[in-house]
Amino acid sequence: MLAEVILAALILLVTFAFIVTRQLRAAVSAYAVQSWLLGGVAIALFADSGLMELLLFGLLTIAVKGVIVPQILRRRTALGLAGRRETAYYVRFPTALLMGAALTLTGFIAATRIPYTHQLLPESVLGIALAVLLLGLFTTTARRDAILQVAGLLAAENGLLLVGLVLAPDLSLLIEFAIVLDILIAVLVMGFLVARMHQEVASTDTSELTRLRG
Amino acid sequence: MTNSTLLLCLLAVPMLTAVTSVLVRQDSTRYALVVPSSLITMGLALTLIARLLSHGPIRALGDWLYLDDFSAVVLLVVVIVSALAGAYSMAYFRSPEQGHVLRRGELRKYFSLFHLFTFTMVVACVSGNLALLWTAVTATTFASAPLVDFYGSREPLEAAWKFLILAVAGELIALLGFLLLYASGIAALGSAYNFSIPILGAAGAHLSPSLAGLGFMLVLVGFGTKAGLAPMHTWLPDAHSQAPAPVCAMLSGAELNCAMLAIVRVLSLATPSAGGRAGELHAAMLGFGLLSMTIGVVFLISQRNFKRLLAYSSVEQMGLIAAGFGIGAPLAIVGALLQMLTHSLAKTLMFLNAGNLLLRFRTTSIAEVRGVVRVAPATAVLVIVGALAIGGAPPFGLFVSEFSIVRGALGQPNWGSGALIAALLLIGFIALVAPFSRMTFGDGNAQPSETRAELGLPVLVPGFAVLAALLILGVWIPGPLHALLLGASRVVSR
Repeated sequence: MLAEVILAALILLVTFAFIVTRQLRAAVSAYAVQSWLLGGVAIALFADSGLMELLLFGLLTIAVKGVIVPQILRRRTALGLAGRRETAYYVRFPTALLMGAALTLTGFIAATRIPYTHQLLPESVLGIALAVLLLGLFTTTARRDAILQVAGLLAAENGLLLVGLVLAPDLSLLIEFAIVLDILIAVLVMGFLVARMHQEVASTDTSELTRLRG
Repeated sequence: MTNSTLLLCLLAVPMLTAVTSVLVRQDSTRYALVVPSSLITMGLALTLIARLLSHGPIRALGDWLYLDDFSAVVLLVVVIVSALAGAYSMAYFRSPEQGHVLRRGELRKYFSLFHLFTFTMVVACVSGNLALLWTAVTATTFASAPLVDFYGSREPLEAAWKFLILAVAGELIALLGFLLLYASGIAALGSAYNFSIPILGAAGAHLSPSLAGLGFMLVLVGFGTKAGLAPMHTWLPDAHSQAPAPVCAMLSGAELNCAMLAIVRVLSLATPSAGGRAGELHAAMLGFGLLSMTIGVVFLISQRNFKRLLAYSSVEQMGLIAAGFGIGAPLAIVGALLQMLTHSLAKTLMFLNAGNLLLRFRTTSIAEVRGVVRVAPATAVLVIVGALAIGGAPPFGLFVSEFSIVRGALGQPNWGSGALIAALLLIGFIALVAPFSRMTFGDGNAQPSETRAELGLPVLVPGFAVLAALLILGVWIPGPLHALLLGASRVVSR
């Protein structure tokens, strides 16, 4: 049990990298590490419970989200100048940090309010999972760069999968399949649109895209 | 054929058409596939619905696939809208007035994604496993976002990006809701159970009420983003104003309803266990509905672009549908179900009209289109009668469905929401019909030299077909449809 909690705590720590980083490449690496850790939680759970689905879940997570998706994202960040750019926020940086802290707290408080039947993991992991979900969604809304917005959604998905491991370990593999499918298509479609963005505005800064109003 | 085979064929036809559209070399082959494919899909769907009406819900492949009266209503909407939009797409891209010069491979991309989009929506309608339902609704986003960016300039790209990011964020929140819904059944059904609609439906009152209720709220907010409910609707007017007209018809007419299907499905599964707190779930639905109607109507008033005007009308109409389900009176629910069908038909007609106006006038600005009736009378008839139909004027189908919802709402002890809905519908009617009548009859800056030139028959035929259907639904609901709507309302208000 301790191994899972430590791994989950590390996931939360890595997620903060999405908030503080100024480098696209660092965000992509953070996502890769986060996925490896999530895979680790599932495999440790498999060792505890013997639930075969969890082993598959872990391996799939590491293969697809720890290796393939970061590779695709790295190739996208290599386009143009995106890899070296300072990546801006829609909000000021200290505000972003404060929001991150507040959202983490919100995640933990929400976890105590959900009256779920205890399965394999303690409540603290649910708190971490919800915090990761919220931090990911926050990254998506607060960052200007398209690739970081995508990374935020992907991080949120990892948080959601961790929620799944806590609430419904038996459903996890099914949800994992759904999400993996989702992510692969999402990364393809988003990658296509990011390439289009380079073509149109010569950057991946979404604050250039503000013509539609009303 | 067995039911499973029929269901699999229903899924296979649009999928195979999509694959073929990628593989073939000639654009003429791609065009030739559209109508047969949508006719076969429609035939299969109607056969399944006929069996459903005589033998009850269809379960197949260990409940992975499931069709009951409620999902059948949405399936009907999807196959009809997709057939109309498909037929219109062919006419639109081949029309001599089409301003956009098609580049190599553009039609391959368009038609393969179009059929894929239909496929994902059909999967959403027939999925029995809730994880599959989530996956299918999510997949509709990925099939449609590149279609929004079809014209490939800065504004469509912005619209597609906004749509993608907001929709995916919403879908993640909805997935959290589905996870909680699964967790709500663990106490009654064990930790590993089949997460399917019939199983959860049978467990009914034994689900954990607080988890199921929380799950529904998250699905409402999450998929509400995709269904165009305010205040998460902000992507909708952008996407609907930038996509090609037939894609707008698919987005507004079919896709929004698929998201609504998922929301109402979870509502119907979570309600039995909620007991005394069921009212809170319905109140949330009603609240989002009324807010969407209000925001939709407010933005209708200030629009200068007729495609955005139609998009805000969709926000208003989806709000009305949500409100109808939220009120929960049998009459309001039947009204909301019929509204799903009539609104889809009318909105498809109006977006095809928008396409025709764009072909003829090369603009989406309301102020720059004047005197349609003088230059193209048949187009003008479709525009003005279509506007009246979607506004909810009798004798068209929307009048019947809107009237049922309002009457159902006024029959409640708390009749205030009914009065609000009626008032908003009235303002919405004026705000929608006025600009279209200015465009049809107005003088403005019409060039006297402009010659009379009607658009070709192929772009007009789908519109007249819809108009006929709306007129029929306004005066007479066919027996099988009536049975289907009643069956669906029983499923929803279980």
